Amino acid sequence: MRLATGEATLARYAALRALTLPEIEDIIPADGCVLVVLRRGETVSPRLRQALAVDSAPAPQAGSRLHEIVVEYGGAAGPDLPALAQRAGMDLTTYIEAHAAVEYTVAFLGFQPGFPYLRGLPSRLHAPRLASPRVRVPAGSVALGGGYCGIYPASGPGGWQLIGHTEAVLFDPQRDAPALLQPGDRVRFVQPG
Amino acid sequence: MFHGRRASGKNDRKAAASARVGSKSRLMDYPGSSMIEVVRAGLCDLVMDQGRPGHAALGVPAGGAADPAALAAANRLVGNPATAAGIEIAFAGPALRFPTGGVVALTGARFAARRSSGAAVAWKQTLVLAAGETLTLELAEDGGRCWLAVRGGLAVPPVMGSRSTFLPAGFGGFQGRALQNGDSVPCGLVQGEVKWLRAEPPASLATDTAGPHCLRVVAGPQASWFDDIGLAAFFTATYRVAAASDRRGVRLRGAPVSHSQWVLPSQGVLPGAVQVPPDGQPIILGWDGPVTGGYPVVAAVIAADWPQLAQLKPGDVVRFETIAGDAAQILARQAWNIEELG
Repeated sequence: MRLATGEATLARYAALRALTLPEIEDIIPADGCVLVVLRRGETVSPRLRQALAVDSAPAPQAGSRLHEIVVEYGGAAGPDLPALAQRAGMDLTTYIEAHAAVEYTVAFLGFQPGFPYLRGLPSRLHAPRLASPRVRVPAGSVALGGGYCGIYPASGPGGWQLIGHTEAVLFDPQRDAPALLQPGDRVRFVQPG
Repeated sequence: MFHGRRASGKNDRKAAASARVGSKSRLMDYPGSSMIEVVRAGLCDLVMDQGRPGHAALGVPAGGAADPAALAAANRLVGNPATAAGIEIAFAGPALRFPTGGVVALTGARFAARRSSGAAVAWKQTLVLAAGETLTLELAEDGGRCWLAVRGGLAVPPVMGSRSTFLPAGFGGFQGRALQNGDSVPCGLVQGEVKWLRAEPPASLATDTAGPHCLRVVAGPQASWFDDIGLAAFFTATYRVAAASDRRGVRLRGAPVSHSQWVLPSQGVLPGAVQVPPDGQPIILGWDGPVTGGYPVVAAVIAADWPQLAQLKPGDVVRFETIAGDAAQILARQAWNIEELG
C-alpha cells in the first residue's frame, strides 16, 4: 500500500507488526509504501482488511533507539566528498558539519542485508547516484544516493556517492539482532575525536 | 528387512541389491548418514531448506529452495520433516560419497546420474545407498535444478532461523558458500522407520517441454504505467534467458517493454516480480533477490509457476500469459502427492 510520508510508512509498519496476524509471513517497509506478504495459500482476513483500512496515526516511535555512528569523513574512504562539497557551494568542513548536524531516521532497509536508507539528509546535500556504479564499494562506506544517506554493510558494487567510512558492523547474521539499525531507529553521525 | 546394516565399500553392489530386494512397500529401520563427502563439486550445490521468511525488513530475503515444495517432497520420501535441509543442485551436479550409506531422494529436473553400485538412480522415490556408495550427477537433462534430500537432513548450523545458503551475503548453509571438492557435510542421525515411497508433483506443474516455457502472471503494481506497445510486446514476444541470470534474478532478452515513467520510489518486492529497468529488458526477481526495488513492476509470476522459474537456464525461451488472481490462488494450493511404492 502507498503512504504519503516516511512517518506514515513507519507508523503503518509498526501497527501491522504489532497485530501479529497468522496469515502474514513478512512486512516490508520501503519508500512511502508497505508490502504485506501473506503465507502461501492465505488470503486477506477481515482483521487484516480492517487494519489496512484504518489510518494508523504517525505516533512517536516508542521502541526506536538513537545510534551514534563514528565516521571518518573524506580522504580515501570518501572519494566523492570534494566534488559534492563543490557542487553544494561549500568548503569541506561546512559540508561535513552540515551532514553531521542532523538526526537521521532509518526509513527502511534494503539493497543488501542491513543497508539502511536514512531519511533527514538536508536538501542542499542531496546527491545524484553515479551514472556508472563502482565495481567495489568497501564495507562501512557512508554514502549519499538522491535524498538518502546510507551505509554499505558489506563490500560490493554500488552506485551511491561515498563521503566517509565507519568501523561499525551494520550486519552480522550471527548476532541476536543481525541488523544494527532497524526501521524507525534514529542515527547521528559523529567525527572521531 | 534392512536393519541399519553396514556394508563394506567392496560390497556396494551386493548391499544395494539387498536393499532393493525387500523394496515392495516394506518398512525398514535405517540410522541415516553421518556425513556426505563431496568427491567432486557440481557447478553450484547449495544447502537449502524452506528459507528464512520474516526478515525482509532487515534487508534479508526469505531465500530457500527455488522449488520449496520439491525439496519438501524429497524430504518426505526419506522420512524427514519437510523443513529439513537438503542440497539444491544447479545445471551440473556433484559426485557425493556416503561413507556410512544413506537414504536419499531426488526431485526436480532429471540429471544424468549413476551410482557406484551400478543400481539405477530413480527420481521422485526413496533410494537406499550402501555404505561407501557414491552418487554421481552430471548434466541436467530436462531443466536446471534438482533437490537431494538425505535422511536426517544436513546438520549445518541454522542462521537467522534457516539452514539455507544466502550466497549474496555469504551466510547460512555450508559455511555460507556452495559446496567444494573435499567438503564433509554433516548429517543428522535419525532412528526409526523409512518407507519406500514415490512422489508426484501437482498437476499445475505439468508443462509442455517443447516450445517456450509459459509463465502465468498477474498484473504488477505499476502495470498501468506501461503503454499499449509495451504491454503488447510483453505478452506476445518471447524472451530468452540471459547468461547473467542466477538465484537473484532471471534476466531476459527480447522485445523491450516500454513505459512512460521511470522514476519510482523503492518498493517492497518478492520473488516472481517482473521488474522493467530503463532498457526495457525484464528481470524476474529470484529467491535471493533484493527485498526492495526501484524499477516498475509490470507483472508477477504466480506462485504455482515458481517451480518453472527454478528450472530456467540460460538460453531457454519464455513467454508470459495472464491468469486471474483467484485462479492463481487455487493453483497455489495444489500439493505434491506421496504414496507408498508398490
